[in-house]
Amino acid sequence: MIVAMSKVEIIGPMELLLPVLDRVRALGLFQVEQEMRGFVDREDEKAFRPVRLDKKTLAERSYCDGLMAKIDQLAGFLPKLPTRCSYLEPHSAVGIVAEVVDKHTLLCSGLCRRRDALEGERGELLRQTAFLDALEPLFKTAGEGTGLDFIGVSLKDGEAVDHLYQLIARLTGDTFEFVTTGGPEGAIIVLVTLPVELGAKVRDVLNGERIPELAFPASLSQLPFPDKVRAVRRRIGDIGAELDRVNAELHRFASRWWPTYSCVREWLLDRLALLTTTAAIHKTDLCFFIHGWMPSPDVPRLRSLLNGEFQGRVVVEEQGALEEEMEVIPIAIRNPPYFRPFELFTRILPLPSYRSYDPTPFIGIFFPIFFGMILGDVGYGLLLLACALVMLKLFRTRRDLHDAALILLVSSCYAVVFGFLYGECFGGTAGGWRLLEQTCVIERSRSIMPMLAFSLSIGVAHVTLGLCLGFWSTLRRRLVRESLAKLVNILLLLCLAALAVSLFSPFPPPIRKGLNVAVLVAIPLMLLTGGLLAPLEMMKNIGNIVSYARIMAIGLASVLIAQVANRFAGLTGDVLTGAVAGGLIHLINIALGIFSPTIHSLRLHYVEFFDKFIVYGGRRFEPFKKPPG
Amino acid sequence: MEKVLLGFAAALAVGLCAIATGWAQSRIGSAGAGTLAEKPELSGTIIILLAIPETMVILGFVVAAMILYL
Repeated sequence: MIVAMSKVEIIGPMELLLPVLDRVRALGLFQVEQEMRGFVDREDEKAFRPVRLDKKTLAERSYCDGLMAKIDQLAGFLPKLPTRCSYLEPHSAVGIVAEVVDKHTLLCSGLCRRRDALEGERGELLRQTAFLDALEPLFKTAGEGTGLDFIGVSLKDGEAVDHLYQLIARLTGDTFEFVTTGGPEGAIIVLVTLPVELGAKVRDVLNGERIPELAFPASLSQLPFPDKVRAVRRRIGDIGAELDRVNAELHRFASRWWPTYSCVREWLLDRLALLTTTAAIHKTDLCFFIHGWMPSPDVPRLRSLLNGEFQGRVVVEEQGALEEEMEVIPIAIRNPPYFRPFELFTRILPLPSYRSYDPTPFIGIFFPIFFGMILGDVGYGLLLLACALVMLKLFRTRRDLHDAALILLVSSCYAVVFGFLYGECFGGTAGGWRLLEQTCVIERSRSIMPMLAFSLSIGVAHVTLGLCLGFWSTLRRRLVRESLAKLVNILLLLCLAALAVSLFSPFPPPIRKGLNVAVLVAIPLMLLTGGLLAPLEMMKNIGNIVSYARIMAIGLASVLIAQVANRFAGLTGDVLTGAVAGGLIHLINIALGIFSPTIHSLRLHYVEFFDKFIVYGGRRFEPFKKPPG
Repeated sequence: MEKVLLGFAAALAVGLCAIATGWAQSRIGSAGAGTLAEKPELSGTIIILLAIPETMVILGFVVAAMILYL
């Protein structure tokens, strides 16, 4: 339901502004309005001016802003840990934090820089290790004899290997050893073993040919190739140990200091919110005025709170909302526990305007009924009920999933009820079940036309209810012509529905004649009240009613799939295979049985029903309150 | 012969409507996928939009049922 809102003005002496704002925020039920038009008379507006912060408060705000920025910068260097609450009083800790924050930022940024450098170096060495792993077996083949030089090269394809072989053979006069192996990412690793005196010459030519030798850090350049490999591995181990030390130091720092920083940060956020809100407040020479909206039932609570705290020095005044303000009143929606989960579906829609309706109760009432009508199977309903119970147990803390489980719970109950009325259990009809035989009212797989008539009559009732609510809504907004048009539409729709019924079960002639006359009178009235587009509107209403045939159509598809599953299971001629095959088709049908009725029931609400009476475009109620901790 | 013609008419009514629905849903689906990439919070609305053209096939089904049973 849309909560009734009151236009409220809080007046008090200037020195109490911040304490009053603090109490209002603690209550969390008041939306402060910057615009004062509508709250005071036009001629009195000149007497008010926005509150400008004095020098001291301005300095405080700038101090808080600066400290917040420094704490946020420090937070960027620290690992994210679950923080405990600090035992320090935030107000007294602010000074300490302000004193040490620069030193701490310097320390942590240094540690982070060191960590990044180490990680970079390790990444580079690890890349080389991938080649070294490939090279290591080649050393065993080539040996590590003295007086030999080693050149490692990584090549992309076989052709380049041949080219390299020819080149080195030419340069060394065949005094070399050439071994290859597969490297990472499809590369071919080549190890060339040759006399030391030829090493420099070969390297020069390779550089000229743009065949780079596997690179190692400059610090290892003096070492022989096998020693380089060992040194790289040793360095990777050292870097790992150093990284652990740096990370442990950052971790230790965060667990020691972050609780204090976090509690000071929260205090600063609170204080800044308070100081920023003062910009939306007005004052005269003597006192401040806070204008805004709050739920009407909560006004006495605010009044008694401020009266008690400030001994009558602060006044809370409730004003009547003006006609032109109806469109700007913020919208707060509160529903009883049964309807609350259905807000999941109304959150998809834009907010209704203040004088319109909250769609939640309508969805809460009709959605499960439509869902039950479409699915209508005792077996499927009980399975979904079990699913809903499991979901409820699993998703206690996740609001949306918990709400979805509650909706499924209610809807599956309706599916069981309609399952009894249709005499269906896993697609099996009344013939096979004694209890179902007794409760079965209509076998929908065989009664297509009666089910179609039933669905359309549901459509007539639902659309007419929508038009009636629309009539009432336009009447409340004093839109007389529009409300009359709705009324004529209702009458015409009912007359046409009655005439359609009379085609199948003829009414007594006087009633039929009366209906004909009523239609003849309603048509010009409809044109008079709704204009030239009124017949189009009427056609739209009839189209909307026909759309309710989906209740029958989708339900029929569901029951036929279930019957196919049963027949298919029977055709296999084997209990186990039949159970698996039939079970799989039933499983698909159940999945469709959740998805399809949900989508189509929602569509019937959003497109066919709400269109008749809900006016969207409301502004969300955003009370001034402490951010959640 | 009349039964064959009735069956053919019913098949046309539901078949053509199904093709039209499929075509409309393919267009809405591709536009919806593009929208979802930018605004994932609109997934609920897009699912509803995707279901809207199904009215056509349902109307076709109703017409087919009327052809066969009335």
